[in-house]
Amino acid sequence: MDRRSFLQRLTFFGGGVVLLGSGACKCSSSSEAPSQAESNVDPARLTFTSAEYALVAAACERILPRDEDPGAKDAGVPVYIDRMLRTPELAQMRRDFVQGVAALERRSHRMFQVGFAQAAPAQQDELLAIFKDSPEGSGEAHFYELLLVLTLEGFLGDPSYGGNQAGVGWKLVGFDTVGSIAMAPPEGWDGPKCLHTCGRHP
Amino acid sequence: MKKEPVDICIIGSGAGGAPMALELGRAGFKVVVLEKGPHYQPGDFVHDEILNSRRNFFMPLPWEEPHLVRQGPQGRYERSNAAWTANCVGGGTVHMSGYFYRLKPVDFRLRSTLGAIPGTTVADWPISYEELAPFYDVAEAELGVSGEAVPHPFAEPRSGPYPLPPLDVHPIAHEVDRVCGELGWHSLPTARGIISRPYRGRAGCAYCALCGSYGCEMGAKSGTNASLIPAALATGNVELRPLCMARSVEVDEEGRARSVVYLDADGVEQEQPAKVVVVSCTAVESARLLLNSVSNRFPRGLANGSEQVGRNLVFSSFGESRATFRVSKQKAARPWLLNPAPFVNRSVQDFYLMPDERFGFRKGGTLGFMWTHPNPIFAAVGLAGSGTAGVFGKELKERMRAYRDSRILQFEVYGEFLPTPGTSVTVVPEVKDKYDIPVAAITLDRHPMDFAATRFLVERGEEILLRLEPDDVQRVGTSGETTILQHGTCRFGDDPATSVLNRDCRAHEVPNLYVVDGSFMPTAGSVPSTLTIVANSFRVARGLVARMKQGL
Ligand SMILES: Cc1cc2nc3c(=O)[nH]c(=O)nc-3n(C[C@H](O)[C@H](O)[C@H](O)COP(=O)(O)OP(=O)(O)OC[C@H]3O[C@@H](n4cnc5c(N)ncnc54)[C@H](O)[C@@H]3O)c2cc1C
Ligand code: SF4
Repeated sequence: MDRRSFLQRLTFFGGGVVLLGSGACKCSSSSEAPSQAESNVDPARLTFTSAEYALVAAACERILPRDEDPGAKDAGVPVYIDRMLRTPELAQMRRDFVQGVAALERRSHRMFQVGFAQAAPAQQDELLAIFKDSPEGSGEAHFYELLLVLTLEGFLGDPSYGGNQAGVGWKLVGFDTVGSIAMAPPEGWDGPKCLHTCGRHP
Repeated sequence: MKKEPVDICIIGSGAGGAPMALELGRAGFKVVVLEKGPHYQPGDFVHDEILNSRRNFFMPLPWEEPHLVRQGPQGRYERSNAAWTANCVGGGTVHMSGYFYRLKPVDFRLRSTLGAIPGTTVADWPISYEELAPFYDVAEAELGVSGEAVPHPFAEPRSGPYPLPPLDVHPIAHEVDRVCGELGWHSLPTARGIISRPYRGRAGCAYCALCGSYGCEMGAKSGTNASLIPAALATGNVELRPLCMARSVEVDEEGRARSVVYLDADGVEQEQPAKVVVVSCTAVESARLLLNSVSNRFPRGLANGSEQVGRNLVFSSFGESRATFRVSKQKAARPWLLNPAPFVNRSVQDFYLMPDERFGFRKGGTLGFMWTHPNPIFAAVGLAGSGTAGVFGKELKERMRAYRDSRILQFEVYGEFLPTPGTSVTVVPEVKDKYDIPVAAITLDRHPMDFAATRFLVERGEEILLRLEPDDVQRVGTSGETTILQHGTCRFGDDPATSVLNRDCRAHEVPNLYVVDGSFMPTAGSVPSTLTIVANSFRVARGLVARMKQGL
């Protein structure tokens, strides 16, 4: 199974393109049975059970914790990830991510005898660092990279995707281009909808 | 289903395809353009980073339509989205940044200037700069290019000024001018495929800063979607069919191109007969299309009797460094750092060619200066790093706050990418895309001289950055390649044994088949190549029109 880093850091022409790349999908050839979790998705959620959601929320808050500035939860990042992973083209990524959530939970029980969401922040950081520093190509490293990138997308993306509420992410990095020198998206802009429908090939 | 025959069927509506559509339509021929992507209108271009820069609005997803890429013939293929440009009407010209340069006379005769370089397949072009120059004029006028020509040691001759005056620049451009002057080098205004004023019914640039990797909602960026394609459609002779994916070019018994087989917007197979077929899908994708077009007459792929299709693939060598100015520290002395003007538009070409062998290479290249892209997700992913060097939590937030207090100037190197026998495109029959068509497989086998030249250029660029007295200079890399600049897979030349196309960009082996994207270029120069592709396509189109009018 090929799980190379999925980020294609393409910086040509100041182009600012970082696409979700090859390994974003492990593209396992076996058609895996849908994970158990998928059948018990929390009715308030699109992807996660309530337990998974609590873990994701806790994990992304460690990526971007609240300090003197708002953190991931303040920005709505968990909502973003829950929604984004529902995109049909990202189905394999969703499976990878949910598997990674389960692996993180198992590791937390093994090391600290509590679930990740209940662990202390320092313990959560320790767990995330283990995943981050796992060998390139491992499932742990792959999950960490997904978590990191989805957290940053949710923190800094257009608010119509459910994250970056009240523009808190943009304020943190001083991004004020959209809505000042660049026209803001039209009233009622729905980025996720366009992702599904704009110019899709058959 | 078989469609009504037409005079010309063009595959691809980008830099190469659009000039052909325009010129043939103007000359009164019936033209069909097949384009695999959708036809976006200016209103579809919204400033949403996730949509534009991070998903498949422009470029395909690598698990739906991968390119396979490997390092060297022994390497393992990785699925990648490298070497894709935008798939929509206008192709890569829709989300380009529009840094527009001409090649220089020496680029047309690199082999005779440098001599044989061992380990490369460098060849002279069969035409000269002087033959292409009038078509650069046409391309600049038809697209709308803004710039100012200034004299310097490697300045290419021009017949007149640019059609539009240069765009406004940030005050730091004048600092770059000053320090380059101190170094005895020449800071040149970078011409842009963007209109600085209203032009031919189009509105001028609004300086929105989200330019590269975005479409332009003003229509000010001179992508073919905003310029040549509307003009082609206005002739009344050109039919544009978006969401149509060409699968193969079919031939008749004599080995002439007969039709193009494609999947339409509903995924239904169609056949478009034409007197002339023009392929312009990018150098990688055009090679793939020809290699996938097998027949009894051409069992190894169309026009590939001499096994040259896909060989001599040339990208562009890439290097980059960045200078960070901390606004809080520097704003008293340099209040203009806060100016939001997006363009720097400065280039340095003093090292385009080296005087002798002392440096271990002769062909240098171009430095282009610009602000880093404002995309915040892109920036934050970079700040977070990866692997054991990666950070999260408090440290990541500190870096994000420091970024808020920064303005970051970067330069990019556009360096020669020497063609080698090992760098090529093939197709791998086992790996297919979502259309069930075998995908392109790219092998990279770089020549060491490219890296030496790029490193040298990066060091010169850093001298310039350091003289600007920033708080920090950081080297991003010296050994990359820009795979969105692609050339060489269907080389043009006079010898059918070593080239696919003749000097008219017509296939040696198929008298009514043309390839007009970057594929024809035996060498790519040390500048971005889109303007050259457009100019050459105008040249080829005028030749084709003349021949068709004579009934050839
Ligand atoms: C983000 C970005 C920034 C860039 N900035 C610059 C710049 O500043 N300066 C510069 O000079 N260049 C720049 N480029 C490069 C530029 O886009 C290319 O050089 C140029 O578009 C190449 O022209 P082309 O005709 O080969 O391909 P394209 O213009 O990409 O056109 C190819 C078209 O063919 C279509 N196609 C492919 N296969 C098929 C098929 N089988 N059937 C039907 N249609 C098909 C594609 O959808 C596409 O529309 C940039 C590219 C990118 C991606
Ligand atoms: S308005 Fe100007 S800066 Fe903005 S996308 Fe268009 S051409 Fe680029």
